[in-house]
Amino acid sequence: MPILEEPIGMMLNVKNYINGEWVGSKGDTVRVTNPATNKVIARVPISSKDEVKAAVEAAKEAWPEWRRTPPLARARCLFRMKEIMEQHFEELSRIQTMEHGKTIDESRGETRRGIENIEVATGIASLMMGYNLEDIASGIDEYLVRQPLGVFGIIGPYNFPFMVPLWFAPYAIATGNCIVLKPSSEDPISQIKIAEIAEEAGVPPGVWNLVNGGRTVVNGMLSHPDIKGICFVGSTPVGKDVIYARCGETGKRVIAQCGAKNFMVVMPDANIEKTIAACMTSFYGNAGQRCLAGANLIVVGANQSEHEFHAFYDRVVEKFTKAASTIRVGYGLDESVQMGPLRDKTKKGRVVDFIQKGVEEGARIKLDGRKIRLVGDWPKDAFLNPTVFEEVAPDMCIGRDEIFGPVASIMRAKTMDGAIEMIHGSQFGNSAAIFTQNGRWARDFKYTVECGNIGVNIGIVAPMAFFPFSGMKNSFFGDLHGQGQDAIRFFTESKVVIERWF
Amino acid sequence: MSRQEATTSAVIGFAEKLEGDFSDFYTVLARKYIENKEQFLSFAEDSKKNKIFIIRTYRETISDALEACFCFEGLNLEDFAITKTIGKDVSRSAALRLAIGNEERAIQFYTTVANLSTGLLATITMAFKRIAEKRKNRELTMRTLVIRA
Repeated sequence: MPILEEPIGMMLNVKNYINGEWVGSKGDTVRVTNPATNKVIARVPISSKDEVKAAVEAAKEAWPEWRRTPPLARARCLFRMKEIMEQHFEELSRIQTMEHGKTIDESRGETRRGIENIEVATGIASLMMGYNLEDIASGIDEYLVRQPLGVFGIIGPYNFPFMVPLWFAPYAIATGNCIVLKPSSEDPISQIKIAEIAEEAGVPPGVWNLVNGGRTVVNGMLSHPDIKGICFVGSTPVGKDVIYARCGETGKRVIAQCGAKNFMVVMPDANIEKTIAACMTSFYGNAGQRCLAGANLIVVGANQSEHEFHAFYDRVVEKFTKAASTIRVGYGLDESVQMGPLRDKTKKGRVVDFIQKGVEEGARIKLDGRKIRLVGDWPKDAFLNPTVFEEVAPDMCIGRDEIFGPVASIMRAKTMDGAIEMIHGSQFGNSAAIFTQNGRWARDFKYTVECGNIGVNIGIVAPMAFFPFSGMKNSFFGDLHGQGQDAIRFFTESKVVIERWF
Repeated sequence: MSRQEATTSAVIGFAEKLEGDFSDFYTVLARKYIENKEQFLSFAEDSKKNKIFIIRTYRETISDALEACFCFEGLNLEDFAITKTIGKDVSRSAALRLAIGNEERAIQFYTTVANLSTGLLATITMAFKRIAEKRKNRELTMRTLVIRA
């Protein structure tokens, strides 16, 4: 199939956006490469601590006026942002495919989910309301107001370059805070576009700032006393030992959404055709680079004889493997493609190492994604095809660690309790799903499983913008989550007023 | 496009092209057969509206968490391509029959993708069904025109 037109022609020189100005950085630059074509599409600066400081100062200066801006006026900026995003929907989506590698359907889905967060935040006049009660004592009334705190830092991951920062940013500014946002240096272009849109939509200078870079920028944010809170999405080691720990030391609020190893539990009564279809998106969508991606598939033999269980397990494995083997891998701007490349060669190398470990640990490889078959003639550097392992034990590397790639580990459990035990044995608790037609099993699963996001016959348990994106155990550090009402509470302080007039 | 290559993006792209082809087709008919000019022009205009409606519905519905790349597996979009060229000396009744054939193929396309898209959010299925219904009405109108021709 022909490739959809690429929106990035000439190489972009990415700048920082501080106090309403696009400013060059003094730092070195790194290349942003389209993982499907290997073409360099941008150069992004690695900014210094001073540049972070300048952004925070701009945000701090803009804050008093912004917090006094009526909520409806703040919301109108967001309405305009949404409108501009709708106008540029296709361009924004194709940029994600170019800078990240995901398929065009996935990119458009990401654009939509990002916009939905802006839509929810436009309801700020209602969302931010407090509550009150008259006559708590004679002639005394009491009420609660939610007030913004000041400046927040947002640190985005590479796997959803457009959407993830929008789990936080619209709510932060709608509630009257200012932000300093650091996109992933691997794919920063989507956030550059969003900052341009914020500028066009009339978000005042200093309210929305963007600083490109790496660790130095993160450390600059973490150590800055004027940053009141940090929103982070990334790996568990960084989220736990750096972000959460440092925010604790400096008294900052924190949302740290981290790694995962998500289990999909298939019960004997599941609708297998639909389950397999849901699993393909779950395990291989976004090339498995998703914190909600399916990683371990547990086939459960509840109420089945030994013979029936073996037959059921074999049927699931065969169907899963067959479906995975037909997934078309290639450049995401080719509309026939169902899975794009990994973000880069290094990430592919890490996944390949896991596949090798799986083989060495004795798991049976049913489909080897290292044998690369592509739709189109593209450099194979970052591509992998889907991999399927069976007879995986939960304590094997591939059953235990986050691979973040298109690898499925199929396991078996005699009972649902056995499956839940496996889930609870994992250090992660991001999401888990059960595939069944049995309400009782589903209810027990929802009730018992220690994961932030639970699915019943759902492959990707992604909460909509008006629900919090939850997470437990080593998948989440903090108290309140991104999106919806949780985000409103995170970005505001509850102030209680008790009032009497003599 | 061969069998098993239809992602949602490809299906929407096909629908977009289909409506564009219909719009061109009826514009040509309107020019050629003055007796039904207004009717054909309204069909051409309606196809433009359908195109906008489909794209809008898709963009407002698509989510990264849906089985967008997988739900149209096995669909061969080439089966639904329409004939949009009309020969010089084709009679009005022959042209109308050609149009009916095209409409039938489009109805079949929209009905098929409506059934296959139930794994997506309801609005996409509803959009396809709505256009299939509109086209059924159009086909009836066309048949009436054939009888009158």
